[in-house]
Amino acid sequence: MSQVFHDIEKKIIISLRANPKQTPEMLEKSTQLSPDQIRRGIEWLKLKDLALVTESQTSVFSLGKNGTESFQKGLPERRLLNLLQNGPRKISDLQKELGSVFGPSMGLARKNNWIEANSEQISINKSPLDLPGEKTLKLIGNKKLSKTEIDFNDLSGLLSRPDFIVEDIIKTKEITLSDSAKDIELSDSTGDIDVEAKVPEVFVARTHPLKDTIDEIREIFVTLGFSEILGNMTQSSFWNFDALFTPQDHPARELQDTFYLDKMSAKKIGTSEQIRKVSESHKKNWRYQWDINEARKMVLRTHTTSVTIKHLAETKPDEARIFSLGRVFRNEKVSYKHLVEFNQVEGVVVGKDASLRNLMGIQREFYKRIGITKIKFWPTFFPYTEPSLQTMVYNEKLGKWIELFGMGIFRPEVTRPLGITKPVLAWGGGIERIAMLKYDLNDVREFYNNNLGWLRSATKCQ
Amino acid sequence: MPVVELSYTRLQKLVGKVTKKQISDSLPFLGLDIESENKDSVRIEYSPNRPDYSTDFGIALGLQGLLGVKTGIIKLNIKKSNQYLISVKPAVTKIRPFVTGIVAKNGTVDDKTIKQLMAMQEDLHFGIGRKRKKSSIGIHDLDKIQFPLVYTTTNRNHKFIPLNSEKEITVSEILSTTDVGKDYGSLLGQSSQVPIILDKNQNTVSFPPIINAAITTVTTKTRNLFVEVTGLNKDDAEDMLSVVATILQTAGFTLESVNISGMKNSSPKLESKKISVNSSLINQSLGLNLNSSKIISSLKKSRLDAISKGTNIICTIPSYRFDIFGPMDLVEEVALGYGIHNLEPTLSPSQTIGNTNPVSVKLKSLDQTMIGLGYLEALNSSLTSKRVLYEMTNRIPSTIISVLDSKSQEHTILRDSILPGLLENLSRNIHESYPQKMFETGTVFQYDDPISEKINFSGISAHKDANFTEIKSMLQSALKIGFGIKIETKTVIHPTFEDGHCATVILNGKTIGLIGKINSKTIENYKIRIPVVGFEVSLSDSIL
Repeated sequence: MSQVFHDIEKKIIISLRANPKQTPEMLEKSTQLSPDQIRRGIEWLKLKDLALVTESQTSVFSLGKNGTESFQKGLPERRLLNLLQNGPRKISDLQKELGSVFGPSMGLARKNNWIEANSEQISINKSPLDLPGEKTLKLIGNKKLSKTEIDFNDLSGLLSRPDFIVEDIIKTKEITLSDSAKDIELSDSTGDIDVEAKVPEVFVARTHPLKDTIDEIREIFVTLGFSEILGNMTQSSFWNFDALFTPQDHPARELQDTFYLDKMSAKKIGTSEQIRKVSESHKKNWRYQWDINEARKMVLRTHTTSVTIKHLAETKPDEARIFSLGRVFRNEKVSYKHLVEFNQVEGVVVGKDASLRNLMGIQREFYKRIGITKIKFWPTFFPYTEPSLQTMVYNEKLGKWIELFGMGIFRPEVTRPLGITKPVLAWGGGIERIAMLKYDLNDVREFYNNNLGWLRSATKCQ
Repeated sequence: MPVVELSYTRLQKLVGKVTKKQISDSLPFLGLDIESENKDSVRIEYSPNRPDYSTDFGIALGLQGLLGVKTGIIKLNIKKSNQYLISVKPAVTKIRPFVTGIVAKNGTVDDKTIKQLMAMQEDLHFGIGRKRKKSSIGIHDLDKIQFPLVYTTTNRNHKFIPLNSEKEITVSEILSTTDVGKDYGSLLGQSSQVPIILDKNQNTVSFPPIINAAITTVTTKTRNLFVEVTGLNKDDAEDMLSVVATILQTAGFTLESVNISGMKNSSPKLESKKISVNSSLINQSLGLNLNSSKIISSLKKSRLDAISKGTNIICTIPSYRFDIFGPMDLVEEVALGYGIHNLEPTLSPSQTIGNTNPVSVKLKSLDQTMIGLGYLEALNSSLTSKRVLYEMTNRIPSTIISVLDSKSQEHTILRDSILPGLLENLSRNIHESYPQKMFETGTVFQYDDPISEKINFSGISAHKDANFTEIKSMLQSALKIGFGIKIETKTVIHPTFEDGHCATVILNGKTIGLIGKINSKTIENYKIRIPVVGFEVSLSDSIL
C-alpha cells in the first residue's frame, strides 16, 4: 500500500521534483501555500526522512547612513576634488562648504597625494578617475547585495568607514528531497488521511493514583474475608492511647508526635466500667496516677487502631475479621519521606484459631496480591501487641529489604479490661509506602501536591 | 527508636566463637534493626522496652542465647558488703522519696564503654525514667567518694562543681545556666529545697535528677564504680538499677551491695521473678505444637530459665527484664528463642465473608460518575492553614479547630470545607493546559462539643468559558446518576462567589451546599487567570 500524504506534503514533493533545491520562500511561490503550511509540511517530511533541510548563512551588504549620503552626493573626497576642479581654494571656504566631512576628506586626499596644501590654499595634485569604493557604492545603491555579487577588494575600504556599509547575516534553509522520496508514489485519493502522523494529547479524567492503591488494598482485604469499619479521625486520648496500654506519661503521647486539638476535650469517653478497668490496668502495670482528664484530651488519631479497639470493645466478637482504613496523623516535619497526614490500613482477626502463623499466612497472601513475593518477618516492638512482628519486603529497585506492615497479638493488658476474651490478631501499616513503590516515587509529598502534570501522566496499572 | 553504634570485632569478642555473618544475620531476629553498616561498625535500632540492648554487652548476651553459645538466665552475683551505706532523710519524702544503688568493682572501662554507658543512661532516663521524672541514674567513680552517704535535701544556694564544669556554682545557677538544668529543672517545681546526695565529708556526689558532681566523673582510669538511682517509686528505681547492674557484671565488674535505710527505703534485692504460662497458650498463639522441652530450650535461648510442671511452664525472669508483664510476653520469648525465621506462614480458609462499608461503596460510585463527567480526582490534607481555608477565600471563620504546636505552618487547622483546597490546587497548576476540572470527597470537621465529622463533596471547573450553567448541569447529573436525587438552587450571596452567580444547593427543602462562579477577588488571591466555577455539598446526613 502506498504511503498516505497530506495535500501539503504532496505539493511540496511535486515542486521539489521540478526544482530540487528550494528555500521555503521559493516553495511558497511555487506551491501557493502559506508560510505556516510550508513550515509544517517541511517538518512532517523531515520526520518521515523524506526531506533534507540544509541550513546555511550568508552576509548581505547594504548602505548605512553615511553610505547612502555618499551614494547621493558622492564620497566626501570626491566632493572635495570637485570643489578644487576649477583651481585652488581657501581652506576656510572648503570648510564652510563641506561641513563635517571636510576633515575625513582632507585626510584621505592628502594621504593619497591627490592634493597639495600650503598655509592658506589647497589645490589638486592629480585627480584619479575612479576613487576606491566608488564602484561598489554605485553597485549597491539602494539594494542589498550578497558577498558573491560584490568586488570584495573595493568593498573593504568602505567597510572600515563608520556607518557606510551595513552587513546582515542571513540564514537560509534549503530543502531537497531525500533519496527515498525521489521515487515515492503519490496517491491521488483525497479521502485518505495520514494515520501515521502524531496527534494531540488528551487528558484522561481519573481517580487519584493513591486512591487507586487504597481501593486496591480495600478490595484485597474484602477478598480475604475482612469487613470494613469506619471511625472518626478525631479521637479521645482514651481510645488512641489509654485503651491501647500506652501510659499517660509515655514519651509517645507527647506533643512532639501527636496532634492534640486545642481546648478540645471529650465529655464521654467510654462506659464507666471501661474507664475503671483501663485505669486499673495502667495503675497496676505502669505504677503511676492515671488521670481521666488526660484521657479526655482530643487528638487526631495517630493510628487506625483507635477505631479498631473501640469497635472490638463495643461488639466483643467471638469470631471476626474486620479492617479499618483511613487517614492518620503525626506531628512531624514534612519531608520527602514524612507527611503529617497519611493513610493507614489495619485488619484484625478474632477467634480461637487465630495464631501468629495464620496471621503471617494472611499477610503473605496480601503481599502476593499486590505483587510482592519476597517477604520475611522480623520481631519488633509495639506497645499494645505481644508478640510483635514486622514484615520486610525485598525491593528490587533499591536492592534492599524495606519495612512494611506491622503485626501482632493484642496484649491481654489491652483486651482484658475492655471485656474482649478471645485473642485478637492485628496487622497493618501505611499505604503511601506501598503506593510509592507502585508508582516509583521518591517523594511522598507528590501524592498530595495535586500536580496536574503528574496526575495526567501517571500510569494506572503498574 | 533509640540507636546504638557497635563494632563487630568487639561483639565477636564478647559473644564467643561466632562469625561476623552469624552476628549480622542474627541481629534482626533479636528485634534489632540494622540501620547502617560500615566495615566493622554497625548502627542498630533497638526497641525502647529493651534498654539492656543499649550496650554491646547486653546485645552480646542476647546473641549468645540465640546462637546457642550460652543459654539460660544471667544471675546477678552481688557480694554482701557493709562498707557502703546510704541513709535517707525525711526531707526527700515529698520531693523524690527513693534512692537505690550498687557498687561495681575491679573492672575497666575504655572510651567506647564509657560512651555506651552514657548512652544507656540517657535511654533509661528517656524510657522507664520518663525523661528523668520517674527515676534517674548517676554513675560515679567509687574511689572519689567517702561513705557513708546521705540522701537529703538542700536549698538552692548550695554550691558544688557540677559535671563538665571547673568552678563551683549554686544549684540555682545550675538550673538556669546549664543545658540539663534548663531541660529538667521543671521536675523540681517551685520548692525551695532540692534533692542532694552528700558524702561523709559533706561533699556533693549528685544533685538528682539533674547532674552529678565533677569530682566523681568516670574516666578510663576508673576501676570501681558507684551507681545510684533516685526516683518517685522504689520499683521503678530498682528496675533501672537492675539493667545497669547486669550490664556492669557482664562488662567484668564484681557487684557489691549498698545498704540503704530510712523513710521506707531499703537495700535493693534485684531478684528474679517467676511467671507461669500454659504450653497450650504458647502453641495456640503461635500456631505451633511444641513439647515442653522445646519450649524450655526456646526460653533459655531468650536468656530466661524455665521448668515444666504438667502443662505449665514455670519461667524464671531476671530483674532487668521488667518488660515481661505476664504469660503473653513469654509467648513472645518462646517465639524469639524458637526463631521467627522458623515460623512457617500458613493460610487457613476464612470463616467470614468480607464486606466493603456501604459508605465506601457509595463514594466509589460517585468517583466513577465524576470521572464519566470528565473530572479528575484530587486529594488534599484535612489539616490545612488559615491562609488557604479563610484568607484566600474571603470567608470568616466561625469556630476554628486547631492543633497544638504543629511543626508545619501549612498544617495547623482542620478543614471545614474542601473547595479552598481545590482552588489552591488550581493556583499551583496555572502553567498546565486548560480546561482543568477536579473533584474531591473527604472529611470536614465542625465544632460540636467536641467535634463532628462529615463527608463533603466538592468540584471545580476552570477554563475560559466556565459558567454557572455548566457547573449546575454537572452537579445535577452527578447527584442524579450517583444517588438518584434531584437538587434545586436558590440565589444567595457568599464571599467566595460572584454576586448573581451563586446559589445554595437544596435537597428536599434542606440546604446541603453552595454552587457558583468564583469571584474575581478570590481568583486574584489565588493568582488564577481564568474563570472558575465550583460547588461543595455535604453528603453525610442526607445522601450517604
